[in-house]
Amino acid sequence: MRPSKLVPLAAATLVAALAAFPLSVARADDAGDHADARPAAHAVHDLWVTVQQLAGGDSAAQHPARPAPQAVPAGGPTVNLSDLSHPPDIDAKLHAIARLPAGAVRLTVPNGQARLGDYSIGSEQTSTGDLLVLHGNADVFGTLRGNLVAYDGDVTVHSGGVVTGDVLAIGGLVHDQGEVDGEVRTLSAATPARTAAPPLSAGALVARNAAGVVGVVLTLLALGFGLVLFGRPSLEIVSDTVSHSFARAFVTGLIGQILLLPTFGMLVVGLVLSVAGILLLPFAVAVYALLVVVGVVGGALAVAYAMGETYTRRRLARGAMGSPNGYRYLVVGLAGPVAIWLAWALFGWVPIAGDLIRGAAILVTWLIATAGFGAALLSRAGARESFAGRIIPPEALTDEYLWATPQFGVPAVRRPGKR
Amino acid sequence: MSGSRRARGGRRGGRRGAVALLLLLPAAATLHAQTMMDASASRQLHGESRLDARIDYAAGTLRVAPADAATLYRLQLRYDRDRYLPLARYSAADGRVALGVETTGGPGLRVSSREHLAQEATVALSSRVDLALDITLGATEGELELGGLRLRSLSLRNGASRTSIRFSRPNGARCSRASFSTGAAELEVTGLGNSRCAEVALDGGVGRVTLDFSGDAAGDTRARLDMTLGELVLRVPRGMGLRLTSDRLLASLETAGLTRRGGAFVSPGYERAMHHLDVSLSSTLGGVSVEWIR
Repeated sequence: MRPSKLVPLAAATLVAALAAFPLSVARADDAGDHADARPAAHAVHDLWVTVQQLAGGDSAAQHPARPAPQAVPAGGPTVNLSDLSHPPDIDAKLHAIARLPAGAVRLTVPNGQARLGDYSIGSEQTSTGDLLVLHGNADVFGTLRGNLVAYDGDVTVHSGGVVTGDVLAIGGLVHDQGEVDGEVRTLSAATPARTAAPPLSAGALVARNAAGVVGVVLTLLALGFGLVLFGRPSLEIVSDTVSHSFARAFVTGLIGQILLLPTFGMLVVGLVLSVAGILLLPFAVAVYALLVVVGVVGGALAVAYAMGETYTRRRLARGAMGSPNGYRYLVVGLAGPVAIWLAWALFGWVPIAGDLIRGAAILVTWLIATAGFGAALLSRAGARESFAGRIIPPEALTDEYLWATPQFGVPAVRRPGKR
Repeated sequence: MSGSRRARGGRRGGRRGAVALLLLLPAAATLHAQTMMDASASRQLHGESRLDARIDYAAGTLRVAPADAATLYRLQLRYDRDRYLPLARYSAADGRVALGVETTGGPGLRVSSREHLAQEATVALSSRVDLALDITLGATEGELELGGLRLRSLSLRNGASRTSIRFSRPNGARCSRASFSTGAAELEVTGLGNSRCAEVALDGGVGRVTLDFSGDAAGDTRARLDMTLGELVLRVPRGMGLRLTSDRLLASLETAGLTRRGGAFVSPGYERAMHHLDVSLSSTLGGVSVEWIR
């Protein structure tokens, strides 16, 4: 808005405020029983409040349903304000009453009074008994001997004002510039504490996700290269177990996942019950967690190794150039799942498609991790070759095998499984 | 409409109902989300000279700091209405106040996501009254600035929490005892010299505890430290005389700069030091280290 337009608007506001001021005072006079004691300061305050209301900047103006100041007739439910130590209880009692239209409100405050709309206690005035103000602000310039509750309004104990009891504002604030002998309390629905962070742009999102994927891939490659370098025999046994017994490995991995928690629970309970084992509990927990992580990550790397080996051997069989080695197997095997995650990193911001890609990536990763975990369990972390397809069972030994590689000293007619 | 068509329509309606139910489930879950409330309680200072303050806080973030000159105590709270009630109970007769939250009796803490630890509390206490402070924390993250208060005694019971206590300014009164009891927690106490407590006691569980004895000590301090399955770091200012006796079981002890004398480890120039710190240490399956600070 241009400044030139602000001046007439401010002037009009001021004129309207001055015109409305006598009406406001008269209205308060009708309602209040302390109008004679109204000091000049209070009148200025009223003028300021009226101007604020006309300008739309006052909290009261934001409640268009705020009623005209009036006393609440006795009758109806009773609300005891002698104990304000449990504000939620007071809130619960007043909640239903405060929703009634102004004319229908009936309320009994033992040893006190209830008011609708704004209410003030003048500086020369002393009010005795508890005071409840519904849908209005309570201003204390004088003395209130009792407790004060404002529902849907603020309480201001002005400088020089005294409240000998407690003060409670439900859905409002308390400004205690004066003296409050008791407790000052407020209760309101929580305002949002933190606004949500602004959403990232598509470019920033792609960069962030891609950096995350690259970081994970580099970590896996480092772990995988370490495994190939230092634990190749075990890695190959787990890898062969996946290749030759995939279904069995997958089912074992699935069952293993389900049994992880119960096994952990039994371990903890067992150690605790054995009394002496309590001392080992932290170590056992740490070792168990470590074993699970090693089983899952190592197994997944073994699956990647198996995938890479299969693909590379096929390529070599077709005449492609290259050397078959463990590092290549690992890189090639990881490329597949990583490609899906990279697709998510690039297109994850696309509605629906991004979620679908992420779902696919999670599913593939889970399948790999489950099969790998199962293979690690089946092969006892690469120590057992039973499911790796490396041992030829006796019943599979045919004459052809024996002819090709006869066992020294054992006549063919007496070979195992044949009479 | 034939009977079979009606039946098909009925089945279709049932399916639609089931789909609608499935779609509504997340909405229902949302409706059951926490209802957070803001509450505050405060009391003006009216010539009180002492206050026994108890703070009970089960979950969320807690801050404690000195109050302004006109306030005896102030609690500002954001709490989960479904699980907790604001606690602000003052007894003028014996000068006691209990602040924090108390449970409504609902089952357990809902901390399945970070949002469930959204409770926040700020407690301000008068620095003009002699204060006995008793704090019990649950699953919380606490930041306690106790410097400048007039602490007579301090007791902290720590559950599964991370708590940082600072004495940035000297205590305005002579403190008889500061005791810390931790469960699976991380506790860091900085500026214990400023606390001017004659005795410091620690009953530590699993976790890491750091006790920093820097600050403007008013006299000698005795420390009885009992640590189980955790790491304890003692930070001692150079110039303070340190004498440490230990009773350890499968626990390591790093005594940088201390010499063995009889059954104790003693710092060089212990006798000549203006202030002394005598530590009685009991540790099981943990690590204890002494660090010298300026």
